[in-house]
Amino acid sequence: MKRIFHDTCDGIGSGVLLAYRAFASLPTAPRILKRVVEQAYLGSYTTLPIVVILSFFIGAVLALQTGITMAGMSMQGYIGTIVGESLTRELGPVMVAIMLAGRVGSAITAELASMKVYQEVDALVTMNIPPERFLVLPRLLAVLLFMPLLTMVGIVVGWLGGAVVCHYVQIINIAPEIYFRSLQSFLTPTDLTHGLLKGEIFGFVIILTACNTGLRTTGGPREIGAAVTRSVVLSLILILVLDYFITKVLA
Amino acid sequence: MNNAQMSARVGLFFLIGVALLWITYEALNGGSLSHKKGYSVTASFATLKELKPGDDVRQAGVKIGSVESTRLADRRAEAVLLIDEKSLIAKDATASIAMAGMLGGGYISLDFGTPAAGTVEAGGQLRTKESADINTLMADLGDLTGDIKGAISGISKVTGSANGEGGLFQKLDKLVTDNSANLTQTVDNLQTITTEIRSGKGTIGKLINDPTAHDQLIAALAEIRTAAGEARTFVADTSGIVAQVKSGKGAIGALLYDDATAENLRLTVSNFRDLSTKLNSGQGTLGKLLSDDTLYKDAQGVIKKADRALDGMSDQGPISAVGIAANALF
Repeated sequence: MKRIFHDTCDGIGSGVLLAYRAFASLPTAPRILKRVVEQAYLGSYTTLPIVVILSFFIGAVLALQTGITMAGMSMQGYIGTIVGESLTRELGPVMVAIMLAGRVGSAITAELASMKVYQEVDALVTMNIPPERFLVLPRLLAVLLFMPLLTMVGIVVGWLGGAVVCHYVQIINIAPEIYFRSLQSFLTPTDLTHGLLKGEIFGFVIILTACNTGLRTTGGPREIGAAVTRSVVLSLILILVLDYFITKVLA
Repeated sequence: MNNAQMSARVGLFFLIGVALLWITYEALNGGSLSHKKGYSVTASFATLKELKPGDDVRQAGVKIGSVESTRLADRRAEAVLLIDEKSLIAKDATASIAMAGMLGGGYISLDFGTPAAGTVEAGGQLRTKESADINTLMADLGDLTGDIKGAISGISKVTGSANGEGGLFQKLDKLVTDNSANLTQTVDNLQTITTEIRSGKGTIGKLINDPTAHDQLIAALAEIRTAAGEARTFVADTSGIVAQVKSGKGAIGALLYDDATAENLRLTVSNFRDLSTKLNSGQGTLGKLLSDDTLYKDAQGVIKKADRALDGMSDQGPISAVGIAANALF
């Protein structure tokens, strides 16, 4: 028990310190611009297909599920509202964040953990290159830049998935115009801002967790795998726990 | 993969992402991609209810703009409306908040006003009218329910036996029960009467069923009509006569309307009165004849004498006649 508590505090503390050290070297950002672009490429462009596929089907299944229920109550006109609202405020950011944790976070942890295990990080420190500036800051800056856009893509693709289902599924049968009209009439720009803000926080926390877990790995190759697992699990837990509190704060 | 290719892809992603972000925000902000095309006017309400930025402004149901922002001003709620350039609002057009559906969502509804009143300038203020929303309606409905309950309890007090002395229906029931024999009798009688009428018995029955009675009635009516026509002619004649009389023509007319005739008549009457007075008082020959009985007595005496003389004559009649005749011959 005491050990778990100690580990938790240690993890949080080292994460905060890591973020602090990384942003302390922010004035050197222009020098690491190339690395930011590289990380943005890995994080956004290569993640885009899976985000699109996942979001489309999340929106589709959401519309289908609510549609079946709502059709029983003759309230199909409000499917757009429900799908739009839940995707924008909740499912869009969370699903994109889970994708990010699984696809980008795990890769970062694996990379940094192996660098740590094979003492490349130590080599950087020896060369007076802080690993926080060289390895962590580009990733954090990149995720802060691309995460809102990735979330936006996820949300819009989810809406489209819902619209397709509403149009083509016989028992729901709602024209896309009605779907988007009901979506638009209840959704406010504030809802969208909240959703994007959520995605931004999730993205930052995921990448920070991944970097922290990777850089704190000690031991051999086996620890690399354990670190990746720990990073992904921790990211998912943090996403859902933070989701609750962010929603509470924003409500 | 070289760096340039990577940068290009990241750039593409960012372009798409930012475009998507912008489009979505614009769509949620009011549905049009173009920004600020039109002019702003403000409308002040006691409450904006469920109105929010981005809601429609409609004139007779046609969208002419949208709600740009909402704010509080001077203890009133103010909505700033962005109206399309092409749409002109008359100065006396009235704005009210209408509901788009049962579950909320509102829009500002404008009527046309009169074109002669001029148009509202940019930054102008619209005339507004408060309208009932679903909450007000529900409250009214609640009051109404209370009233209906009161009315129904009043009715049940009248009909039921709330205080044990029997309501209207019980009284009616008692009345019917007590008089059921009489009622049955009455109904029987009515039935008999109607049966007889149908079978042509009795005056009414004959009237209804017998064609001759009907014909006679028609003939009687025709006679009455003729009589009425004659009466009308008579009345017309009479009125003609009256008109003539009025105009002073004819004897009666002269009598009624000619002053000279009237004066003559008056003189005649007064002369006649003098005459009769004299007659009464026994003045003059006629008066004496009427009033003085001496003449009568004298006449009676003469007649008696004549009678006696005649009697004498009748006794010696044939002799006298011969004597006379002889006297005449000799």
